Amino acid sequence: MTETLTASLQRVFGFDQFRSGQAAALESLEAGQDTLAILPTGAGKTLIYQLYGYRHPGCVLIVSPLLSLMNDQVDRMRMNGFKRAAAINSLTPFGERLHILNHLNDLQFLFLSPEMLSQSQMLDRLHQVTISLLVIDEAHCIVQWGPDFRPEYLLLGAIREKLNRPLTLMLTATAGKQTRQEIAKQLRSTPQVVTESVNRPNIFLDVENVADEATKQARLLDLVKHLQRPGVIYFSSKQQASDTALWLQQTAEVRAAAYHAGLDAEDRFKIQQQFMADQLDVICATSAFGMGIDKDNVRFVIHYHLPADLESYAQEIGRAGRDGQPSVAILLYAPGDEQLPLALGQSNRPEPDTIQRYYAHPTSFAADDPQIHLLAFYRNHGISQAAVTRLFASRERERNHALSQMVAYAKSPTCLREKWLQAFDEEPPAHDDACCAPGNVPLDLAAHNLTRQAKVLTPTATVGWQERLTRLF
Amino acid sequence: MEASDLGQLLSAKQDRRIRVIENLLRGKKTVSTLYWGQRYHLLPLLNLAKQLDRGGLDNAVQELQRRHWLTVDTEQKTLRLTNQGAQALAETPTYQPQTVDQWVNLDIMAARQRLLLAVQVTSQYAHSTARYYPLATDQKTRQHVRQWFHSAKGPALASSLAQALVTSLAQLPASTADIMTDQFTGFGQPGLTLDQLALAHQTTIWQVRLRQFDGVTQIARDARHPEHPLHDLLGPLWRVPISPSAQETLAAVSAGRDLQQVANRRQIKLSTVREHLLEAAIMLPLTDFPYDSVLPQSVRTDFQAAVQGNLDDWQYSALPQAMQARYDFFYFRLYAIWRIKQEVTA
Repeated sequence: MTETLTASLQRVFGFDQFRSGQAAALESLEAGQDTLAILPTGAGKTLIYQLYGYRHPGCVLIVSPLLSLMNDQVDRMRMNGFKRAAAINSLTPFGERLHILNHLNDLQFLFLSPEMLSQSQMLDRLHQVTISLLVIDEAHCIVQWGPDFRPEYLLLGAIREKLNRPLTLMLTATAGKQTRQEIAKQLRSTPQVVTESVNRPNIFLDVENVADEATKQARLLDLVKHLQRPGVIYFSSKQQASDTALWLQQTAEVRAAAYHAGLDAEDRFKIQQQFMADQLDVICATSAFGMGIDKDNVRFVIHYHLPADLESYAQEIGRAGRDGQPSVAILLYAPGDEQLPLALGQSNRPEPDTIQRYYAHPTSFAADDPQIHLLAFYRNHGISQAAVTRLFASRERERNHALSQMVAYAKSPTCLREKWLQAFDEEPPAHDDACCAPGNVPLDLAAHNLTRQAKVLTPTATVGWQERLTRLF
Repeated sequence: MEASDLGQLLSAKQDRRIRVIENLLRGKKTVSTLYWGQRYHLLPLLNLAKQLDRGGLDNAVQELQRRHWLTVDTEQKTLRLTNQGAQALAETPTYQPQTVDQWVNLDIMAARQRLLLAVQVTSQYAHSTARYYPLATDQKTRQHVRQWFHSAKGPALASSLAQALVTSLAQLPASTADIMTDQFTGFGQPGLTLDQLALAHQTTIWQVRLRQFDGVTQIARDARHPEHPLHDLLGPLWRVPISPSAQETLAAVSAGRDLQQVANRRQIKLSTVREHLLEAAIMLPLTDFPYDSVLPQSVRTDFQAAVQGNLDDWQYSALPQAMQARYDFFYFRLYAIWRIKQEVTA
């Protein structure tokens, strides 16, 4: 295509300028270079492959880890005028899957889950299509989720070879040097790295030490009452997210709702739309919420539970303050909070003697146990018992290291931003009053323009259902 | 499902098996489930809680037990309300759907999906919104709504749809009209979730769902009129409540063939033919089943002499040996169904 990138941007999206990072990534791809783009949440990563797909014939194949999000992504593509987009994952009904596969040549964008992509029939079918670009979305999942959650991500390198090494774009919001190397290694690529600072200067960082669960809840309630809204509270448990949403509604008269993978598609859709339309003040979420939520004015992100690593933490707090206005990320930490991520990590990981027993008698184990499922996956791919044992041991060390970095952040008596950015091999800016409040420093909401101005609620007259219904049309 | 909701499906006068109720809600259609579903007067609930897990009612059972509202016969795996429970439940407000006799004849879940998307598309169209997120639905629903919208759109669509919906909902209790209205997604209205509707109406999710089933069925019923704006979209979701294969078997038997002939011709087992017939007998009105040929008067007379008393207590194994030798379980069951239909008709 002879049209310049900026001219394409103008024609397709009506923008005059790229956001930082977008142009560099596109130029690298146009030069035929595999590209790893590390751009903060909200930088417009999707636009990169949308524009590339527009400029080049063939199909852009996007591998995406979150099933619940894939259909949202397709809807979003369609809204942007890219009608020839579809998604296939394990939730796609058989008939729909068949329909998409029969019309593969007409597609400009195809979203696939790693599980689907690793099926040989799917690969055979994809061989008959021109793939203009392979996109690995949320590429950090290769490292974070790989061995103990979604082993199919580990096959992506081999799959890429089988697809004859198409031009590849790896996208993530956060990746330190080690993660970058691991992504490149797994995908058997030597990408051009395009990176923007992960720092978000308008997000004030705060860690609050609380004595126990009861104090934590009381502090949460206090914060929600006084902080500027809207906000997101992250939990590691679906049940606690739901319970807290209800509790906040009833005790603090907050318009709150829960969002997690246990909700059906209709409820998730409605909660998202309510939040976008400012009809909710607070979302009580698990990590299922966020990827793909475009809301500029989120004023606070609170973590009720300790995340397993700083990369997840950075992803989740990145949802605050996309409009550049003062926002805050608060981590509530009680002694021993690291036990929960530790336990969640361990529950996925088989012990050495389980591995040994499984390899000795593979048929005498129930395949629906997630640990056994994982072991069966490795065994079926010809990986030896010794190699699997080593893999899990090294994975455990990595996880423990990542968790210890997170704990060090929580316990840090000095600048939090420094701790955070150093983990991503970035040089932190000089600390000042607008930077952070570690656990030993109280949070002064007023000084940072974070206090909620109590609004006088004008009582809205309730109208009858007939009128409400008629207004819809 | 909460304890009080399950309680409404139980009785103080009849032992009811929890697995039957669970399978009915989850849409596990076996002859046994259908037969007992009919005995419990719960057939309309068939397939209306597909998302329920196996054992998904056990918590509610335990809660009712804790309140001493029911007794459990662990051997028979049956439940019965205590007098205390029956009294408490009678005082618990519960929704009485008006369209319940139509539920087995409509694919309510599909109708609801189509209705919600059609309302959203029409609402956004009426406000000239070109870009919006469509509700997340399956591809079939999207296709049908797209087709419908393509031929229905025009300057009058929005107002005629609004008018039609108001007319339908006005025939139902106000709380049902409220819930139906607030669940819709459209211009400037994201729509409320089940949880939010339950909270706003101080009731349980199941009670909200009953209202939704009622509202959807009422709208689909009105849409049978050819002038109704949703006629082409919802009309095809009315159905005969038995499987296509059972319909075929029934047609062949009604045409006068004997059961073994039908089995040979259709290349299915005789036992499958009998299952089809029992399903049809349970699900269809008395007059739509060829009782006179399949269960002739002489057979009825034999059974009449052999079994008496409460239908629920009848047992094939308790029949005299001579009866068991002459008649398979199939005839015993069919006779019971015929008797139930007699009671309903009377």
